[in-house]
Amino acid sequence: MSTMTPATPARAHAHTRTGRGLRLSGLNWLVWRQHRAGFWTILALTAAAIALMGYQRGQMMHYLDSYGWPHPKPQWLDHFSSTGQLQSVSMTLGFIPVLLGVFLGAPLLAGDLENGTAKLVTTQAVSRVRWLATKLGVTALVIVVGTSALSAGFGWWWGPVKTESSILDWTSGAAFDNTGPVPVALTLFTVIGGIAIGMLLRRVLLSMVVTFGFAVAVQLIWSFFRLSLGHVVTITTHTGGMAEPPALPAAAHEMDQSFVTASGKLYGYGTCMHGSTPKAIQACLDGKGIVGWSVKYLPMSQMSSMQWLGTSILLALTAAITVFIFLWGRKRLV
Amino acid sequence: MINGTGPSGSVNESAIEAFGLGRKYRRGWALQDCSFRLPAGRICGLVGPNGAGKTTLMGITANLLAPTTGVLRVFGSVPESAEAGRRTAFLAQEKPLFRRFTVAETLRLGRELNPGWDQKAAEDIVRAGNVPFDAKVGTLSGGQRSRVAFALAFGKRPDLLLLDEPMSDLDPLVRHELMGTVMAEAAEHGTTVLMSSHMLSELEDVCDYLLVVAGGGLRLAGEVDELLAAHTLITGAHPGEGTPPALAGHTIVESRTSGRQVTALIRPQGPLHGDWHTDTPRLEELLLAYLRSQQAPPLITRSAQVDDRAVAQAVAA
Repeated sequence: MSTMTPATPARAHAHTRTGRGLRLSGLNWLVWRQHRAGFWTILALTAAAIALMGYQRGQMMHYLDSYGWPHPKPQWLDHFSSTGQLQSVSMTLGFIPVLLGVFLGAPLLAGDLENGTAKLVTTQAVSRVRWLATKLGVTALVIVVGTSALSAGFGWWWGPVKTESSILDWTSGAAFDNTGPVPVALTLFTVIGGIAIGMLLRRVLLSMVVTFGFAVAVQLIWSFFRLSLGHVVTITTHTGGMAEPPALPAAAHEMDQSFVTASGKLYGYGTCMHGSTPKAIQACLDGKGIVGWSVKYLPMSQMSSMQWLGTSILLALTAAITVFIFLWGRKRLV
Repeated sequence: MINGTGPSGSVNESAIEAFGLGRKYRRGWALQDCSFRLPAGRICGLVGPNGAGKTTLMGITANLLAPTTGVLRVFGSVPESAEAGRRTAFLAQEKPLFRRFTVAETLRLGRELNPGWDQKAAEDIVRAGNVPFDAKVGTLSGGQRSRVAFALAFGKRPDLLLLDEPMSDLDPLVRHELMGTVMAEAAEHGTTVLMSSHMLSELEDVCDYLLVVAGGGLRLAGEVDELLAAHTLITGAHPGEGTPPALAGHTIVESRTSGRQVTALIRPQGPLHGDWHTDTPRLEELLLAYLRSQQAPPLITRSAQVDDRAVAQAVAA
């Protein structure tokens, strides 16, 4: 054991004083200092976006109140002007997982590996696992704070009009991926994927390009997969094929509409429509034994459970990649 | 070379022990079957041509690489242990630093991450080069950056200081001054220093111990004095072809004939017969002879040897 020089930690040298309220120490300080430009940018843009959404919601509520919200007159939609803003903001929010994956995730370890600073840090008296854990932890914390705030802000703005699918359909990415826990999980998954890609490729630019491809693929697969998170509800009628199809609950997402026979056999809704007179159509429907409609749909009441199911799948994948990063990085990260 | 006063304790303590160490990359073995011991308190030069495995050996010691075969211990612990990590400081060849950190922040990095940090020692090294503390590392000259990297390594107050090609981008003045710092630090605190270079002239004046690697294997290891004393440079007339018969029985490291004159570097195994002009080789001559003749048997002095059984055990594991 070394018993030399009574280790004078020489407290806070004049040059190193920052004087800010919260004083980070150890690896937390290092990780924050190294990536502070990125972290501050995320937090500042989040705050700006929240302010913008708050202002927009104020405008929107002013309009809705003039129509007697929460039970507005039926013609309230005629002059409703927030649709464009909701849609453009939601589209912008949709880019966040890709942007953060490429600009925060990919360089996070690739930068240290490319510049050799991974060697610098891991040869200090800290273990590689702790360094990795701090890096991933602080980054994840910033992402969770930022995306949760954005999700809450957007959900708060959209909330009063969410049952009006002509403004934003809840099953679309614009609504589904930007509210509740989904944006948090999608962003975390994309960023951690980017971190792993950067760790394996060890080059910043290359990892950013590959991560971009990964992030776009995640968005595509996710949008393809989104509706299968729900449990499809079927409603049938027996009032005959000439009657109107059954009314669905507000904002329900119709998946399929078809004729149904007494035995449950389905016919496409175009069946018999070639008939020129109602009589001919009726005869055709009767000839096939059609007794009513069968409509499959996703009610909006499932939105939250679908979001949480999707989130748990994404978080499980994120956890798997995290474990991989630790197993690989523990040995080979220099 | 008195090191009883240092923190590294007894003369018998080993700073580094390697048992059958090997490291294989995709392109082949960078280091193979390397067994040696570096006693604590020494300033040891690690010499060899480029690509000889110096950086690999340093990397294994600094816990940046895992060996493919064998075991290496730093003060008795494996490199990945917290104990070894705390007692070892490593200055990589490219001297990586965070370019956007200021000098003061770079020293803070050392302070935040190392329990035994010596802020004054680190600041003194920076100040000696008139490097401004509030300058960003990215704006410094190569020499200034090296100085900051040195300060970071010294501030850790390591028991084992690993310097990989430390002088390669320094001007002679800075090189001389920083070497002086290394020597003073080592003398004052009993720090063991392992310093690699492919230029022996850089190390000749400061090192009292030597490890020579070439072709992935260890060629020489031990005290500089002993290594020199074990060799004799002989010059004499030899009319015939081949090895002069008088040299039979001695280990010939290298011999060259020009006309009737023979010059040879030998390890005498007894009294030398015949009419020879003998001389003690200079360190550089010794080194060059070993690097040129790869077939010459390696020489590991007693203090640099490790137990054969431990090697066998480590390789088998």
